[in-house]
Amino acid sequence: MGKTVTIVRNVMEANERRAVKLKEYFDKEKILCLNLMSSPGAGKTSLLERTLADLKGEFKMAVIEGDLQTDNDARRVAATGAQAVQVNTEGGCHLDGSMIEDAVAELDMQGLDILFIENVGNLVCPAEFNLGEDHKVSILSVTEGDDKPEKYPLMFHLSSVMLLNKTDLLPYVDFSLEVASAHAKKLNKDIEIFPVACRKGDGLDAWYDWLRKARAAKR
Amino acid sequence: MLSIVREEREKHNMKRILRVKVVNGRLSGAVSDALSFGWECLTQEGDLQGVVLDIEDAPLKVLCGSCGKPFTPEDAHYMPCPVCGEILGHEIESGRELYIDEIEADIDEAESAAESDAEPHTGD
Repeated sequence: MGKTVTIVRNVMEANERRAVKLKEYFDKEKILCLNLMSSPGAGKTSLLERTLADLKGEFKMAVIEGDLQTDNDARRVAATGAQAVQVNTEGGCHLDGSMIEDAVAELDMQGLDILFIENVGNLVCPAEFNLGEDHKVSILSVTEGDDKPEKYPLMFHLSSVMLLNKTDLLPYVDFSLEVASAHAKKLNKDIEIFPVACRKGDGLDAWYDWLRKARAAKR
Repeated sequence: MLSIVREEREKHNMKRILRVKVVNGRLSGAVSDALSFGWECLTQEGDLQGVVLDIEDAPLKVLCGSCGKPFTPEDAHYMPCPVCGEILGHEIESGRELYIDEIEADIDEAESAAESDAEPHTGD
């Protein structure tokens, strides 16, 4: 029979420590940091392409792109003229604090207004790892089904914003904006919900206004 | 988890670890069965071979978003308040935790005692 020693240490502490340091850095530099999360193919990169192009004159923005493989997304967003750095997780299903530290070291952070982190496409694990961001933003596309907030509650519970993307496809799918919104509100009564169609540019003004407000709150 | 266990082994002069107890909240996002399976895989051999992982599943506790009454919902997705029936906006009091609670081990008492003797008591 051995002796029992009380420990009480958070299993996620290594990541939490890094997240706290990153948050302090973003606060000091007055950079708004947003962690974008969704399933693969929901439209994170398309949303960023639009946002970076449309708000180019207003904000200095940079992107950290997380993917298992390829630098396709970093090249897509870099085409808008914004700084982009690709993180390949080589099989990892989410980004963690140490990957963001490395990516931040590669970027020119001087005078940056907004840093977007595009997480790996996955509705589960990315929500578990804080990256020092000011807000989590989740994107759900109408082709995925309106029950996703109910099935993957943590991500929507922790997000400040939910964008419902591809609304231009609503006539072809059984997706109710009301049902998806109600499920998300049930998890998080303060979540702000913006229906958008990134390909056509529909509904993006509300998202841009939210970005302006979040940015102003960081000054 | 393994690196925390190794750190604590050093800190407390543990000779041999017998059991590690983890508390896993219902909303932590970690599945207890998966933790057990991962632990089993990683402790097949090496310095932590055979160490038992003991997982305590901690319930979800919330405060009602409307009347503030604390309660323990049965279902983690649909949580009507037993007092006022409110289903929205509850505040999570506990259930998101995932931590190493305690470690049971054979401890090298001689070395522990020698170390505490060597450290002068500073009184703080």
